[in-house]
Amino acid sequence: MNSAKLVVRNITRRRGRFIFTLAGIAIGIASFVTFLSLGGSLKNEIKREATALGANLVVIPKSACVYEQVSILTGEQLAATITMEEVAKIRAINGLAAVPCLTEKTAINNRPVPVMGVLPADMQRFKGWEIGAGSYFGSPDEPGAVIGAVTARQFGLQPGSTVTVRGERLPVKGVLKESGGKDDLTIFLPLAVAQKLFKSGNLVSFVAVKVDDLAKVDGYITKIKETVSLGVVSDQQMLKSVLSIVGTVNVTLQLIAAVSVLAAAFGIINTMLTATYERKREIGILQALGARNSTIFTLFLMESAGYGVLGGIAGVVGGLMFSAFAAPYIGQNAFTAFVKGSDVAGIFDVKVMAGSILFSAIVAILAGVYPAWRAARLSPVEAISYE
Amino acid sequence: MSEAGARDWGIVKGEIMTETIIKTENLHKTYTSGAVKTHALRGVSLEIPRGSFTCIVGPSGHGKSTLMHLIGGLDRPSDGTVHIDGTELSGLGNRELAAVRAKRIGFVFQFFNLLQSLTAQENVEVAMMLAGVPEKDQAERARALLAQVGLAEKCAARPSELSGGQQQRVAIARALANSPDILLMDEPTGNLDSAAEAEVLELLFSLHRQGKTIVIVTHNNDIARQAQQVIRVSDGVISD
Repeated sequence: MNSAKLVVRNITRRRGRFIFTLAGIAIGIASFVTFLSLGGSLKNEIKREATALGANLVVIPKSACVYEQVSILTGEQLAATITMEEVAKIRAINGLAAVPCLTEKTAINNRPVPVMGVLPADMQRFKGWEIGAGSYFGSPDEPGAVIGAVTARQFGLQPGSTVTVRGERLPVKGVLKESGGKDDLTIFLPLAVAQKLFKSGNLVSFVAVKVDDLAKVDGYITKIKETVSLGVVSDQQMLKSVLSIVGTVNVTLQLIAAVSVLAAAFGIINTMLTATYERKREIGILQALGARNSTIFTLFLMESAGYGVLGGIAGVVGGLMFSAFAAPYIGQNAFTAFVKGSDVAGIFDVKVMAGSILFSAIVAILAGVYPAWRAARLSPVEAISYE
Repeated sequence: MSEAGARDWGIVKGEIMTETIIKTENLHKTYTSGAVKTHALRGVSLEIPRGSFTCIVGPSGHGKSTLMHLIGGLDRPSDGTVHIDGTELSGLGNRELAAVRAKRIGFVFQFFNLLQSLTAQENVEVAMMLAGVPEKDQAERARALLAQVGLAEKCAARPSELSGGQQQRVAIARALANSPDILLMDEPTGNLDSAAEAEVLELLFSLHRQGKTIVIVTHNNDIARQAQQVIRVSDGVISD
């Protein structure tokens, strides 16, 4: 016999209470892990999208805030306010490549799909796109569409089929090779075609800029700002501000989850206090057999920690399963769109798992201190005489 | 007269060793509940020789169990001293007192007080665990002790699967776990039928013959008649 065996016997003797107490802490930890995993996954995806954007700088309207920056990364619809004249002035600056983008939305089978109007040749060069099937645009204003690989697969689109955008049936010219970014989810149209369909005149949503010399990026920002009355943000700044918002949202969600873990901790206190009362006589027996106060304290604390560790493990498993399989289908918005299609393996972060179990154990141990102290301070005679 | 009382258990009353193993001096115990003070013991002095079979008798509520609790280090006296094999208990801290209970005294109670979630063998092992016996040494000794009390076949049984007499024999095996010199028993046959009582008493007298010092708190005059020494407690004092 050892302390651990004794604790396991005690913890499992009331199976119903054991399961419900465990469920309390497991649910709290599961929600904690879900938010933590999704937050981590979201951050990774944002970083990946920022890289996939392929731009060092993004020119946006002066009034644009962080929401617009998020929209650029997620491919969400963005108001077109930048004129082609302004685009031309930017493109005229030496030492940079600038491509205008018009971001819009259409629907296929009632499901929203991002649409982007681009200058075909410039954009292919800019992004280094490769064609997976069919062909690319032949001319800058050719009516037709090139589809991202995931969207093509999702809606059964292939070269030769047609896609309807704003009531206009467009032939699918080709399908891009899968890149793992939001380009896989997008329908690309020649800019002129997109501007006509979406009636945006000669306006675009933003301009992606790639500079020749990264060391002089600040100089380019100044030069663009001097040339046109628009805002310029570097990809790093954009990443930083988007991540800061995501971080705030994450912390808020994690705090809410932590409160549920705290509520579960009170469940443990309740269970352990009940155990103290129920096992008063047994405590007396152990004392008569030579148990020290510290032994009784440790046994009860181990029991409480047992709830924390087991509940933590159950919570981590539940939370990760939820993160991997259920959460991406809860809803579609700028944030969850990132998670959909993300790498499931990325969610299984060992640090998150170990940290959550440790957190659960610490909360449970703290919850067990008072009941353990109550048990340890019982007088042997009082305990053994308890009926 | 019960079966137990009708038998001769082989105790030779004249053969008491003179060395004292338990000694109390002017022992007082007062319980306070609000403004009410209850004097459970009022100046009890006694000596119990090593290897003796002693019964503490007296009416209910007159201080017998309190005296046993103080002798066993389960409680501390309000005044006076308890010596166990030369060690003065009131001078010990909680940790040392627990060590005395673990290694030098074995307790047996009226209601067996076995841990219900453990098997018979594990109940014996717990006592060894608390005395710091390594886990690898526990099982063999626990099985041997259960065999000694006639329960070799019941090692894996839980208390709820055992009769009252069997449970009390497990409790005795547990009391013997750390080879204490002293066995303190509070009405060990008080909850048994006469057949089980006879079995348990036979076991106790056998342990006494092996040299254990046995102190029994009892109402049972038949057991008291067999004792080498009878201490009568009445109104918190020893009466003749």
